[in-house]
Amino acid sequence: MSECFAVGGSAGAQRRTATREHMPALDARRKLQLALSVIWLLDGVLQYQPFMFSKAFPQMLAGTAQGNPTFVAHPIAWSSALIVHHLVAVNSVFATVQVALGLGIAFRPAVKAALAASFLWALGVWWFGEGLGAVLTPNASPLNGAPGAVILYALLAVLLWPADRDSTAPFVAGHAVGRRAAHGLWLVLWASLALFALMPASRAPKTISGFFTSMASGQPGWLAWIDSRAASLVGNQGLLASIVLAVALGLVAVGTYLPVPAARAAIVLAIVLAVVIWLAEGMGGIFTGGGTDPNSGPLLALLAVAYWPAAASGSGVLGSAVPAEGA
Amino acid sequence: MGGPTWLGYIFAAIMLAVAGYCAARLVAARLWRRPTDLDADGAHVVMGVTMAGMLVVGLRFLSAGVWEGVFAVGAVWFGWQAVRVRRTAPLSEWHCPQPVPHLVECGAMLYMFAAIPVLRSASGGSGISGMGAGISATESRFSLLALALALFMFGWAVWVVDRLRVGTTALAVAVPARAGCADGGRPGGYLAPRCAAMCKVAMGVTMGYMLVTML
Repeated sequence: MSECFAVGGSAGAQRRTATREHMPALDARRKLQLALSVIWLLDGVLQYQPFMFSKAFPQMLAGTAQGNPTFVAHPIAWSSALIVHHLVAVNSVFATVQVALGLGIAFRPAVKAALAASFLWALGVWWFGEGLGAVLTPNASPLNGAPGAVILYALLAVLLWPADRDSTAPFVAGHAVGRRAAHGLWLVLWASLALFALMPASRAPKTISGFFTSMASGQPGWLAWIDSRAASLVGNQGLLASIVLAVALGLVAVGTYLPVPAARAAIVLAIVLAVVIWLAEGMGGIFTGGGTDPNSGPLLALLAVAYWPAAASGSGVLGSAVPAEGA
Repeated sequence: MGGPTWLGYIFAAIMLAVAGYCAARLVAARLWRRPTDLDADGAHVVMGVTMAGMLVVGLRFLSAGVWEGVFAVGAVWFGWQAVRVRRTAPLSEWHCPQPVPHLVECGAMLYMFAAIPVLRSASGGSGISGMGAGISATESRFSLLALALALFMFGWAVWVVDRLRVGTTALAVAVPARAGCADGGRPGGYLAPRCAAMCKVAMGVTMGYMLVTML
């Protein structure tokens, strides 16, 4: 037996080499799909938290109906009532579906089915669970999650779809839908965020600082410190802060139309804004035990990375834009 | 306010199944002379049993100190293997070629014992899923580390699933007939690579769940 192990001493290296040679390549789009998969997994596991099996969960959902028109509020009330009466079963299904979506996107033979299912699931949750992200209410603000984190899942499912309508697009998000459509979707998203930042509710003197202050409660010390410092920084300058935020969001909205160096700067700004938004959202409340998902910050950052323009030579930061097999 | 204990039982059952399967792999590898990652399978046996005990109090049978020692040794082993891989030193076919995730798993186990004081009591209290609602951000120390570990676990699970499409021939390098071996050098591929991958995924998701309840 020792001879077997002696001769087989290099077999481990053989196995590593053979494994690498046969492993499908991870192109840029596949890496982003796997990142989306991780976020779905986190979302699903967060849904398994004890808080979600309590009546506080449907009460939280019912709260999203506030300020919405009837055609949005009634379905929310219906879904909340359904969840109250079948709390354990319904929440278990929610969590398991989300975990399955995450694993499905990661499993190459099922990536299309999982992305399609995630798109439909996201639309349903956006309506019945998030009240269309409060976009039809006067309280919509990018700092409280508008237009809703879950719609970003749907957007990413479309942009990361394994198709090559425009395989020469300089950024990953343009491959599946074409660069013009991708540019348009980016513009609509970030311009709407800029618009929400200028809504009357966001312009009030203490609104923005209030977002940070309210999120500090129940958080770990380091996050509460960041939120309270941010609140102090903004202070009563809510109008100025909302204008600055709107201008930054507007620059991001048009940034992808600019030449590569400026577009990259816009993408970096988008990622910075995503971090700021995530902090204002208390990182989705995931440290409080009551966060149903990581909220929009990580998804906005992932979206921004999908728009990172490759260099003129064709090789981008994320690697080759040539799609790998099956993705 | 507490969570459903049945969820803890389900995850504990999954972990015991993984532990049992990995123990069977160790036996089968010996009997059938099929290569497997002895260190990873052994680690999963221990982790599965420990995690089941964390999830359901009645399944604990050793003190936390013993388990911490075991996982500290495991972390040192996989850390050493990671250094050897980095140096492209030849590894035995019986050792896991990707030791870093298992190093992180051992680190996560140590973290869970260190971060939740009540887990150190061998009896009493509730399982981790039952007490999750009662753990505040301050009681669960270093919650950002728990989030980072959970994300790593999910990333590892996702990476493994991404490679599940690969056929068995890619993951199993046929062991060449070795002249002079006492057993005649019976060739055989890697032992059930897909099942091994499923165990890694189950371990990653369950560990991620436990870490998320500690946030």
